Amino acid sequence: MKRSFNIIALHCDGKILPETYELFNFVRDMGGETITFIILGSEPHVLMMARELAEKTGTDVICATSKYLENYYAQGYRDVLKGLVSTTDPCFICIPHTASGYDFAPLLAAALNIPCITAIEDIQDSLFIRSMFGGRIRAQARPSAPSAVLTVQPGAWEGSADYSGPGGTVRILPVDIPPGKTVIHGFKKSLSHDVGFCDAEVIVSAGRGIGSEQNVTLIKRLAALFPRSAIGATRAVCDLGWLGYRHQIGITGNTVSPRLYIACGISGAVQHISGMKNSRIIVAINTDRHAAIFRTATYCIVEDIKTFIPLVLEEYSRRSGNPVNGSS
Amino acid sequence: MLAILAALLYLCCSQRLKGAFSTGMNILVCVKQVPDSADTISVSEDSSRIMYNDGTVFRLNRYDEFALEEALLVKECFPGSRVDAISVGPERVRQAVRKALETGADHGIHVRVESDEYVSPLTRASLIAGFARTRGYDLILTGIMAEDDMECQVGQILAEKLSFACATSVMFQEISGDEKTIYVEREIEGGVRECITLAMPALLTIQSGINTPRYPSLSNVMRARSQEIEVADPQPADSLSMERSIIGLGYPKDAGTGEFLEGTPSDKARELLGILHELSMI
Repeated sequence: MKRSFNIIALHCDGKILPETYELFNFVRDMGGETITFIILGSEPHVLMMARELAEKTGTDVICATSKYLENYYAQGYRDVLKGLVSTTDPCFICIPHTASGYDFAPLLAAALNIPCITAIEDIQDSLFIRSMFGGRIRAQARPSAPSAVLTVQPGAWEGSADYSGPGGTVRILPVDIPPGKTVIHGFKKSLSHDVGFCDAEVIVSAGRGIGSEQNVTLIKRLAALFPRSAIGATRAVCDLGWLGYRHQIGITGNTVSPRLYIACGISGAVQHISGMKNSRIIVAINTDRHAAIFRTATYCIVEDIKTFIPLVLEEYSRRSGNPVNGSS
Repeated sequence: MLAILAALLYLCCSQRLKGAFSTGMNILVCVKQVPDSADTISVSEDSSRIMYNDGTVFRLNRYDEFALEEALLVKECFPGSRVDAISVGPERVRQAVRKALETGADHGIHVRVESDEYVSPLTRASLIAGFARTRGYDLILTGIMAEDDMECQVGQILAEKLSFACATSVMFQEISGDEKTIYVEREIEGGVRECITLAMPALLTIQSGINTPRYPSLSNVMRARSQEIEVADPQPADSLSMERSIIGLGYPKDAGTGEFLEGTPSDKARELLGILHELSMI
């Protein structure tokens, strides 16, 4: 059965998001032959991006333009894509699982009355693989209908385009959409990056598994062993108020890649992993031997940080002959 | 007299009591019950379902706790508002509805599903839509995702089925004085927020950290104890609504390439420091 693949290109500030190219490799992994990119936006920026896509991938691009599509908004994307994507023939509509992607993907699926499978991270035996229960369970999915909307976890596929052949065509399609009831006001920076992640060689991060707010002290003392270190945290720890949101590492927080990353009491949900997986060395300390974090870690230690970090500090001061200072 | 006028004027202008003269909002919060810890679950032999054991403790999905709190905050701003809490699932999810009532919801609804199996987002949303369609809600809130299935879909599909405006990953919301629009900040990547205004009625999926969920008050706990929970029997609206695309469950195969340090805790501490020393980190 011949199936067509539509990749919805996402962009921000006039630049195509790298996740769009990751999707191209995802589709090629599925053996997709009939591939079309669809990009939505306002002229003139969207035309340049459409040409870039066609050149870098050799794939045809549909470029839907409207002055109302200058910025992303869910209802606009749903309406335009619903009109563009014909599901009379089997097709997969592939969308990056970013904050915009998962915002409109289920809307589009429901509008087209086809299934939606989200946060795909692998393909095995022609089945889509996605995580459940924070990575503890792996689900296999197969769309229950010939057509489906798929969202793909950022970072799950390589994003580089190694294509050097002739470029694809760009079809410009002015779309007539009403202004819509959504008013877009723009963007707001809500995170200050002043906890020193950029300069840090070592980041010691706390997850919910550290047990209580008091144990943040242990994390700070461990970090203080290293001359250029910073304190990170999972979203759950920030939500609990144990550390401020500026410490947050993960999809909605900071992305870091230090020489050494020490994950303390972190289970390893994909939202966190994607913010730190490019760290050179990853040490994970967790009481649960099956925690997902151990699949990413270089060194795995099955211990409780409450007892283990004091042992490390003790051993360190014994070796160096210096008592370990309490604060950093 | 002047003082009363001034007080009324203050009430009208104040953020907290913006809807002083409104009849209030009709709010629905969709809550899910999830196992407290993944340690107590396993996959059935035929790979079709999650098995819970005697040690499995269930609780409210954390993201839904934030959604419930946000609903209660809206209710406080708009006197006369009513907060309904709904959950889809087997008998056990009544606990989750009860918890919502204890926390401050006015009315609880249990949409019955007989078996304790995976329910797809489309099915879940269809069942809720079947109930909500005739109830005239102004605002529907739910968590950005469920901690167990992690699909990020139910809210959006429900919005589509009810023709509500929709925003996900919401970190701030404010309903306009005329109650016709809602200003929303949604969290996107890299600590940036997208700011939009939606027409009401609207559905928001709430990101964690938007507020600090309250604990149940004693009076609400007492009230909830004897309060009846409305039972709704499923009325799937369309043919696809009982679909499921998840066909098998299992454990991650790839153990990773990491090295497990073995021995006593002290052995491990020594080995770790040895490794860090070799890497010239300390």
